[in-house]
Amino acid sequence: MKNYKGLIYPYIVWIAIMIVVPMLMIFAFAFIQDDGSSVSFTFDNFKRFFSDETFPNVLKRSLGIALSTTLVCILFGYPAAYIMSKAEGKKKSLLVLLMTMPMWINMLVRTYALMGILADNGLLNSILSFLGIPMVQIMYTDSAVMLGMVYDFLPFMVLQIHGSLEKMDKSLLEAAADLGAGKGKTFLKVVLPLSIPGVLSGITLVFLPAVSSYFIPNILGGGGYTLVGNLIQQYSLTTERDFASAISLIMAVIIMLSMALTKKLEKFSGTEGSED
Amino acid sequence: MKKLIEFKNIVKKFDGETVLNGVSIDICENEFVTLLGPSGCGKTTLLRILGGFLEPDGGEVIFDGEEISKIPPYKREINTVFQKYALFPHLNVYDNIAFGLKIKKEPKDIIEQKVNRMLKLVNLEDYGKRKINQLSGGQQQRIAIARALVNEPMVLLLDEPLGALDLKLRKEMQKELKRIQREVGITFVFVTHDQEEALTMSDKIVVMKEGQIQQIGTPIEIYNEPINEYVAKFIGESNIIDGIMKDDYQVYFEDKLFECVDKGFEKNENVDVVIRPEDIDIVPPEAGMLKGTVKSVMFKGIHYEVMVETRAGASITVKMTVSDHKPVYNESAGEKMSANDFYLDISDIDELTKADIIARADAQAWDAKTDDWISISKVEYHLEKKNGTYPVTFHTSSGTQVTVNMIVADESKVENERFDEVIYAVNFFKNIDELKESVALETDLKTWANASAWQLDDDNVNINITSVEYDFDPENITVGTYDVTFKTDGYEYKIETTKEQTEGEKVGLRFDPDDIHIMRKMEG
Repeated sequence: MKNYKGLIYPYIVWIAIMIVVPMLMIFAFAFIQDDGSSVSFTFDNFKRFFSDETFPNVLKRSLGIALSTTLVCILFGYPAAYIMSKAEGKKKSLLVLLMTMPMWINMLVRTYALMGILADNGLLNSILSFLGIPMVQIMYTDSAVMLGMVYDFLPFMVLQIHGSLEKMDKSLLEAAADLGAGKGKTFLKVVLPLSIPGVLSGITLVFLPAVSSYFIPNILGGGGYTLVGNLIQQYSLTTERDFASAISLIMAVIIMLSMALTKKLEKFSGTEGSED
Repeated sequence: MKKLIEFKNIVKKFDGETVLNGVSIDICENEFVTLLGPSGCGKTTLLRILGGFLEPDGGEVIFDGEEISKIPPYKREINTVFQKYALFPHLNVYDNIAFGLKIKKEPKDIIEQKVNRMLKLVNLEDYGKRKINQLSGGQQQRIAIARALVNEPMVLLLDEPLGALDLKLRKEMQKELKRIQREVGITFVFVTHDQEEALTMSDKIVVMKEGQIQQIGTPIEIYNEPINEYVAKFIGESNIIDGIMKDDYQVYFEDKLFECVDKGFEKNENVDVVIRPEDIDIVPPEAGMLKGTVKSVMFKGIHYEVMVETRAGASITVKMTVSDHKPVYNESAGEKMSANDFYLDISDIDELTKADIIARADAQAWDAKTDDWISISKVEYHLEKKNGTYPVTFHTSSGTQVTVNMIVADESKVENERFDEVIYAVNFFKNIDELKESVALETDLKTWANASAWQLDDDNVNINITSVEYDFDPENITVGTYDVTFKTDGYEYKIETTKEQTEGEKVGLRFDPDDIHIMRKMEG
């Protein structure tokens, strides 16, 4: 057989140029002060972030929205995935198709479409007024941003959970029934624990983009609505490149911590037994 | 013994295909029952119906006096050991075994006692904390058994549980399972396709074929008195001979009347006679009830497996004329061509085509330089429907030609009426080079001589020609005429003996009246 190892080098070069170098630059910008005459190491950018409540509040808000988005995705996504995995033949293919179809359209386009629906004179309010129900003001609120995130990221959650449910050996369900477990008990004791890895990777795929998203809050939250992603965008567009770098690093640390946490959870829920 | 399970006329269909066709079995308390049959016979389907994973399309399943075919599996006092064990990968060994007890909400200390007792029963006492993926196949097997038994079911179902284990482990687990069954004293219903496994472990064997029961009985009954040829063949290697039941206790086969212990057949009913290899003794020819020649001897570890032919099969001898004609060489066209004389049956003339003639004459043309084949464009001949010699000429399009003779003669076939066989072959001509170049001489000789054999009463049933004999050395053959003999198998008996025998030796065979088992012919 031929050795294809050499094919990895273009990728390594790519990673080095497009990821490692920019990361190092962010590090440098965040920690180095250059006042024209001399270059020195500084924590000023980080001190500034935590100096008053404004920035930490934005961070809190971002984490809050991302967490609730993830939670809602699990709540809606799990049953959807479960129903998909129970369906058979054509019905299953149709459901999977329906779930992946939105992903054929660019996320930005979809978000703009959502704006058209949620706007004060949009589709939703037209329907409400047609039915004689008072109109609602959703646009430019937390709800609109969350709705947008759930809408954009839900398929990731569903497909991950569906994948882990599909992989499950069906004879395990028979074994549970054989040992006296009814449908509910079988779900709680076998199906749910075995699908946790899918839920966790779904969480990773939803929480990470949600916590750093900037165009969804930008479009659905309006100009005054700020999440961490928007902060980074704002400051990197102005001259305060160093401060934007510092915020990026703080985000990176939070993301790494959350990934480490899911890894831990995965190990815990995985093959480890419990003595309840 | 008390009846615990009754299958009554169970029918099950999948997509219109009948998998179980009216199966009725009674299973008693504390019995080790094996459902035996090849894959696709419906044995696993039957087990799954008992476990509650399938609902029968017809019939009743009575369990402990109650019709249960509509009761879901989790409400049945039956537990299953699944084919691939189906242990829960997210739980450790202890929690796998405790699963059923926790569902029943038994107190924690009781659960612990019971699980530990089970671990002891399956000889895996210190394995409670292990993960499932840290266990070997055999250990997983034991845990699966422990997980099922800890619920103290009235019946344990085992779906080919030893299929994935290697031979040595399988033997160990067979003993182990039997011991466990004796110790816990409950009914085991075991599914397997391995007849040896069935014979060693069971109290009762149910032999199944295509969704129907062939025979139910103890291992000894099934082994010694198989009800038909199918059971006899499935349960072990046997000699099965055609015979006629002349009267009660009188069976006729191999042109002789033998005393036997069976009765209740019609007078002159055609039957299958079974004699087990280990029931036959090899004795000097004059002391034998049958006489024969030792055809082959194979050492099988504790015994020899000897094949004795009591009667030769049908045979026919034909003449092969070997020539050293060189191929015709057409220099101007750069072509070579060859063909052989050949014999033709008078009865074949009506259906003879040009392609047949080319094949029979083995006519070939090829490019002298490249050896590429060149097609034969024209075949010229004149034939009459009576014995004689007729020339035939083969042409290529560039004018190369060869003329050979077709010799028309009467049909040469041998009928062996006592054996209901016909064997057929014709004399043939061959070039010396073709003989020397043959890589599979016996097959080529069969092809050249057109040798075949079939049943006398039905010429669609082919019989294999198993031996080709010739009296020349293919490496150093010279021009001349040689005999080639084709033979079918005769009557052969397989005998297991501890004494070594010599191939080609004349021997006698002896067996007792109670070694002769008579079976009804199978329908269809």
